[in-house]
Amino acid sequence: MTARGRSWLGIAGIIAIGLALSLVITERYHQRILTLVFLWAAMGLAWNIISGYAGQISFGHQAFFGIGAYVTVLLAAKLGITPWLGMLAGALVAVLAALLIGTPTFRLAGIYFGLATLAYPLIFRIVMDYLGYQEVAIPMVRDRPALFMQFTEPRSFDLLALALLAATLVLSRLIEGSRLGYSLRAIKENEQAALAMGVDAFRCKMAAYALSAAPAALAGAIYSHAILFVVTPEAVFGVLVIVQTLVVCLVGGVGTLWGPVIGAAIMIPVSEILDSTVGDRLPGIQGVVYGAALMVIMMFAPEGLFWRIGRGRASATAPAAVATAAAPIETDAEPAPTTKGAVVLEVRSVSKAFLGLQALTDVTFDVRDGEILGIIGPNGAGKTTLFNVLNGFLLPERGEIRWQGEPITGLSPHLVCRRGIGRTFQVVRFFPHLTVLENVMVGAFAHGGTPAAATARARDALTRVGLAERAAVTPSGLTTLDLRLMELARCLATAPRLVLLDEPLAGLSADGVEIMSAMIRRGRQAGVTVVIIEHTIQALVKIADRLVVLDQGRRLAEGLPGDVTRNPAVIEAYLGQRWLARHATAHAADLRP
Amino acid sequence: MVASELAQYVVTGLLVGGVYALMSIGLALIFGVMRVVNFAQGDFMMLGMYLTYYYAIALNVDPLLGALFALPPFFVLGLLVHRAFLARVTGGGDPNREMDAQLILTLGLSLVITNATTMILSPMPRGINAPYASKAFALGPLLLNQARSYSFLMALLLAAAVYVLLTRTDLGRALRAAADDPEAAGYQGINVRAMHGIAFGIGIALVAAAGGLLATYHPIEPNVAVNFIVLMFVAVVLGGLGSIPGAFVGGLVIGLVQSLTLLLLPLQLQNVGVFVTFLIVLYVRPQGLFGRRARAV
Amino acid sequence: MLRISGLSVAYAGLHALEDVSLEVNEGEFVTIVGPNGAGKTTLLKAISGSVRAAAGRLDFRSRDMTPLPAHERAALGIAHVPEGRRVFPSLTVLENLELGSYRSAARERRAEGLAAVLALFPALAARRRQLAGSLSGGEQQMLALGRGLMAAPDLLLLDEPSQGLAPRIVEQIFETIGRIRRERRLTVLLVEQRVVEALELCDRGYVLETGRVVLAGAHDALLADPRVQRAYLGV
Repeated sequence: MTARGRSWLGIAGIIAIGLALSLVITERYHQRILTLVFLWAAMGLAWNIISGYAGQISFGHQAFFGIGAYVTVLLAAKLGITPWLGMLAGALVAVLAALLIGTPTFRLAGIYFGLATLAYPLIFRIVMDYLGYQEVAIPMVRDRPALFMQFTEPRSFDLLALALLAATLVLSRLIEGSRLGYSLRAIKENEQAALAMGVDAFRCKMAAYALSAAPAALAGAIYSHAILFVVTPEAVFGVLVIVQTLVVCLVGGVGTLWGPVIGAAIMIPVSEILDSTVGDRLPGIQGVVYGAALMVIMMFAPEGLFWRIGRGRASATAPAAVATAAAPIETDAEPAPTTKGAVVLEVRSVSKAFLGLQALTDVTFDVRDGEILGIIGPNGAGKTTLFNVLNGFLLPERGEIRWQGEPITGLSPHLVCRRGIGRTFQVVRFFPHLTVLENVMVGAFAHGGTPAAATARARDALTRVGLAERAAVTPSGLTTLDLRLMELARCLATAPRLVLLDEPLAGLSADGVEIMSAMIRRGRQAGVTVVIIEHTIQALVKIADRLVVLDQGRRLAEGLPGDVTRNPAVIEAYLGQRWLARHATAHAADLRP
Repeated sequence: MVASELAQYVVTGLLVGGVYALMSIGLALIFGVMRVVNFAQGDFMMLGMYLTYYYAIALNVDPLLGALFALPPFFVLGLLVHRAFLARVTGGGDPNREMDAQLILTLGLSLVITNATTMILSPMPRGINAPYASKAFALGPLLLNQARSYSFLMALLLAAAVYVLLTRTDLGRALRAAADDPEAAGYQGINVRAMHGIAFGIGIALVAAAGGLLATYHPIEPNVAVNFIVLMFVAVVLGGLGSIPGAFVGGLVIGLVQSLTLLLLPLQLQNVGVFVTFLIVLYVRPQGLFGRRARAV
Repeated sequence: MLRISGLSVAYAGLHALEDVSLEVNEGEFVTIVGPNGAGKTTLLKAISGSVRAAAGRLDFRSRDMTPLPAHERAALGIAHVPEGRRVFPSLTVLENLELGSYRSAARERRAEGLAAVLALFPALAARRRQLAGSLSGGEQQMLALGRGLMAAPDLLLLDEPSQGLAPRIVEQIFETIGRIRRERRLTVLLVEQRVVEALELCDRGYVLETGRVVLAGAHDALLADPRVQRAYLGV
């Protein structure tokens, strides 16, 4: 069975177990615990969408939980609107709030995002206090209890909470399998690399934030009816809400459907039972347990139980084949070097400075259709800066870049990618929890399409680099060569017309260099133009049709490899003017009889 | 509005801000050297308040002095906490992951401390009856609460001591070097790991002392930490994450903002002014007023 | 003084160094040249302890220092002047220099060390109260060198002291290195891209290419050897 099928079966299994427990358990107190397990698992899954998949740690997700609770209860108390409608309104308000909060907040990176999210629930809390909503009781409607979510049978709340959990699981599963899900995981791993693969990071984060706000709001609404009965700012916007969310996710494992469910199934009963047995004598026991759980999990299994156990199993059954490189390749017949193709990329007088340091000065060259162009130069020559300017990470101060006749200077990286310029990085960033195939799919989604189409494109790209047999393994066990090949496949899966390869040969063995070079040539045969940065010139001389030499940010030379490496200016750049002088005279001396 | 009324608000804000500044310096030192955002900082402050309280109750030590006596035990506690917990958390070489892991570890620590204190000492608020708590100095038309004034002066004194330590001693220079460039610090023979422990110890000791000063005019209860940790975060971000002079100024600014908010908004909304300032600073200048360049993605 | 045998270093699965063996004798000036990415910087980091050896052994004064962390190796008297200067930008020039003499053996002689370094680099003396981050590239290089000398080291590791500097400054830096070496009889291990300047200064040299030692010899032999150029350009 496919991994996809298995995960739907898993969701069905969780729902079945949930249903069975709801039916079997008859004791009121146990039913309450069951409700809490379902609700916190759902809340954890909601948080997991933005913080687990997309890696944007939110310390303020209780803002949406509280909005859901307050909107629902206030609508019922003030306007007599049924909570069934009220909680939908609550979810809608939460989504709007997420969009409003996200717009400025996602401009902040890393720790700043997390710190900023702290402030929102605190503000809501203070405002609710100020507006006089310190305590809002759910109005009792005796004649139509079901319409106002006031079940006398606690089992009904179990089922309601289970329904929310099921819906959140389905939502999460749909996200996992969609273009959005792949994009989010790419953003988490490396936002820059994701942008270079055509991912619109800002929009993806906003979408994830909005999607995660809705189930959080529904959880808040159900929680206030099933458990609270009186909504207070502390109970729904308070620290304990986010703490329980974090605990179920981090203990279970983030970035997966199963983590929050596992975490809730373990942590919620433990803390509830402790609270009810010793809570009277030891107020705060819940907090101690949650705090200790966070500390222990961070110290001993920071990836969470699911990944810890899952990984242990995976490594036990890992195929032995991962040690070897890709299958040997018959050397493709080499066509004559193309140097006469039409110009596809024009780089005109590009200059870029950082803090007064001139990284690129007036760099001009052309890339022709179907060629392999090598860019070489000593340390600090500006090679990677040049790539960063070409693919939109950096805006040049002066100069212009034209791609197939149209200016692309200043276009954002994901748009450059979608126009057909792919790139790889010096250090391969892979997504450790995705298989090789799924890693490549992130690139395959660059031009949209269905998951099925992306899978097909990804498989095709893997076949092209000879990595098809590794499609189902996770990349952690791959060799450097295989990782590079996977990255090349990921880049090819974006269907580029031009690829920018940043040191694809560095650190490879002699055999590895051969294989990688063959794959690069094969890509060219398939009609992809290639620009390579390298500092191992020997390898580059063998595969490049032409070389451009950069030195201290300027174009020093351009031409056929043989000519360029004999060019005195190039020898001077690499070995110094005095080496040139010395050996020029040495040569001259040799010539004398 | 009368000018003297405005001046009164400014002075009150600055006096409170001095103690905030001292707390924030501790947090900034820990972040600067270790790159750890310490969520448990408020809890160590709360423990410092209790220690000062028990010094006063059991040994009849004046809380201003008690705050000073809180320094050595909390320095040692900081060393131990670092050794036992923080030093064990690594993100597998990825600094971002490591930062998240340590952040969550300190969040867990904070929960344990708050709730264990509730468990052991009961949630009942306590207070120290300092003789000067209800007296005030008159400075022209201005009234300066004596407890706040003394606390402010002590906070300045301690902040100055930190400044001298950091700039005039080999240990201080080594701490700053470890913050600037841990790898190059290693090349000079500086044990960077030991510096982390010492920075954590000093940071905890400072915030505990600040707690002791606060205890002269603020009720002592286990969950006092929550309110103050956010104020410290705001002060530290305002000053630029990791900048110690920045945190000092940030603390003063927070005191001022809190006080001046009262001119516009009712008491309940006092902290809204602080949080709004925080968000504005984050959006407009995330590197803070004194910050180094913001961390890249 | 320093003996490296069979050293291999791997970063994230990449083999940065493979089976490197070399020696530096007491009082010798040894240079390592080689193209970009050959592993020169990694080699110095492995000696000073900021990267771990995957295999092999490092002996300093006949003592195995392979398991020691960086700060303990510095305490033994190995001063590393890293690539890109790496001065402490938020500390003053004077504070940077004082930190150079952090190890206890050097701390006792801080005053005389400081006087000597400031005499060697008068430009630093004039800027002693300035923040190191505000210095120009050349001044930062002098500061990094001065900081290394403040440790009163037995072995000085210099990584690309000429990088990113104007030719005139480079000349000055090399001249200073030569002078330090003559006056102090220091043992120096220099990593450099500028082949001729570096080889002229040294007694012996090694050529590193893709993580391996491909050539070794006395400085004049290497200066005359066309194979050095092949390591850089393949022809």
